[in-house]
Amino acid sequence: MTMTTPNSVSACARAVTKEEAAYRIDYPLAYARSTRVVALDETAEKTVRSVAGGPWGQAQFYTASDSGEELITLDGQRRPMVMEIEHSDSVIMVATNSIVSTAAASVGAACRERSIMTAGLLLLDAGALDGDALSALRPYARILLVPADEEDLFELLKAIRA
Amino acid sequence: MGELFRRYWQPILHTDELPEDGCPPVRVKLLSERLIAVRTPEGEYGLMDEFCAHRGVSMFFGRVENGGIRCPYHGWKYNANGQAIEVPSELNNSEFCKNVKLRSYPLAKVGDLLWAYLGDPQKQPPLPTWEFATVPSGQTFTSKRLQESNWLQALEGGIDSSHVTWLHGGGPTGAGLEADPLFAGAKGNQYNKGDVKPFFEVVENEGGLLIGARRNAEENHYYWRITPWVIPNFTMVPPRGDHPVHGHFWVPIDDENCWAWSFDYHPTRDLTEAEVSAMKAGAGVHSKNIPGTYRPEANKDNDYLINRHKQKTGELFSGVEGIAIQDSSLQESMGPTVDRTKERLVATDAGIIKARQKLRRVVEALRDHGTEPMGNVPEHQNIRSVAIVLPADQPFVEGIGDGFKAREGVPQTTV
Repeated sequence: MTMTTPNSVSACARAVTKEEAAYRIDYPLAYARSTRVVALDETAEKTVRSVAGGPWGQAQFYTASDSGEELITLDGQRRPMVMEIEHSDSVIMVATNSIVSTAAASVGAACRERSIMTAGLLLLDAGALDGDALSALRPYARILLVPADEEDLFELLKAIRA
Repeated sequence: MGELFRRYWQPILHTDELPEDGCPPVRVKLLSERLIAVRTPEGEYGLMDEFCAHRGVSMFFGRVENGGIRCPYHGWKYNANGQAIEVPSELNNSEFCKNVKLRSYPLAKVGDLLWAYLGDPQKQPPLPTWEFATVPSGQTFTSKRLQESNWLQALEGGIDSSHVTWLHGGGPTGAGLEADPLFAGAKGNQYNKGDVKPFFEVVENEGGLLIGARRNAEENHYYWRITPWVIPNFTMVPPRGDHPVHGHFWVPIDDENCWAWSFDYHPTRDLTEAEVSAMKAGAGVHSKNIPGTYRPEANKDNDYLINRHKQKTGELFSGVEGIAIQDSSLQESMGPTVDRTKERLVATDAGIIKARQKLRRVVEALRDHGTEPMGNVPEHQNIRSVAIVLPADQPFVEGIGDGFKAREGVPQTTV
């Protein structure tokens, strides 16, 4: 095997050194995500409320009505679900074994029609996984965390720069 | 993180590297410590500080003699445990020797590998029981390659199922999987190709995580590929057909380099000559290394032999040949330690996000409370990856049953 001698900065041998890595342009990343976090039942709402106080950019937090056709802001305003997700690029659905399946289906289907990325978190603080809850959420969540907890939601939002 | 790794047996050498009793010693760097591995004429393995206690000479130049290794500079001799047993210049040799000991660590042979434990002797876990290392030797093959990046960015490739369709599969029109003899012909490849936007489920498991990627299969059924991650640095790739099952250990050399160990094994049959030949040639998860070394022939010094023509035509999606080098080329391109503050993760990176979170939790629990981490006991190591077709309404953890547990004489669960 003949080893080549790198003759430019773009050659991997130089470009991937620690010294060259330090020259990666340092500029602030804009908040790229317009995220909606939707609690799908009352228990999940407590977790969503707890996390909502974090240092988020454009993330907005709601509880879904039972039909899912409305999203209720944390200060109680009822808004049409479709309008609220229309300009988002990711929707995170948070649920427990008490999930309101009609709400999941309504929000999930609206996201699918609009090609909006979805994630689902099934919170199981103490109880075992309920197959019905999983079935209600699975078809609509591109990525599903089972079981999940409040820290999972926080870390997910932080990682995607919500 | 270093303290966490010191709670586990880690693979450090292939037995071929210390091939016979009394053979030359081998330098080892592990967890940022420079060590020397020896095999005495009596067959005892030893792993100790690389440098002689006297003047700091590398014991790589040592003479392996009965009972240990002797520094050629002034004749100081150590046994396999690093204890000085002869210091010729001293009149009261035995008394002086008592106080001279090179730091040493247990080195044990399990399967075709030598495993080291660098932690507190009081906390030493049982010897590893990973299935790839405990099946009969004819059923398993292991290779290693140097990866010039931090171990974690390499590991994250192992649990990032969403890159497989693109980098290794060639995208929606690619034939990458079918082109590899260690993947070709599996029905699962068709499912992979037929659905390039998989859904993911990340499920807690006792020793780490199970990361399921689901694709559409026949009506009302999903094709699941389930990747186990066992804390801190073990992953397996879901199987394809009756091909051997493969996976990895990502072992830190230091903060900027790691050993990528890659294994292939079959739970119930010997590997065929053709399979072993393909593995030695760098097919599947293995690499073609520079003869006499563990550095891949395609490496950063030659831009990983990227072929722009094949990249353009789509024959090789990234232009780089071989799954292992496709991974290493991109993971090394991030720099030796990627700056994660500049990442822009997406929801499908949840497996990586969750794994980082779990790692941080176990590191903090060990540091702050002395809580022993998971993954270093047999019940967490007896694990397998799975490929399976399940009814659409069945949770994969329910559908796979014991499929993700290693069971002697039981074939892998595969499609």
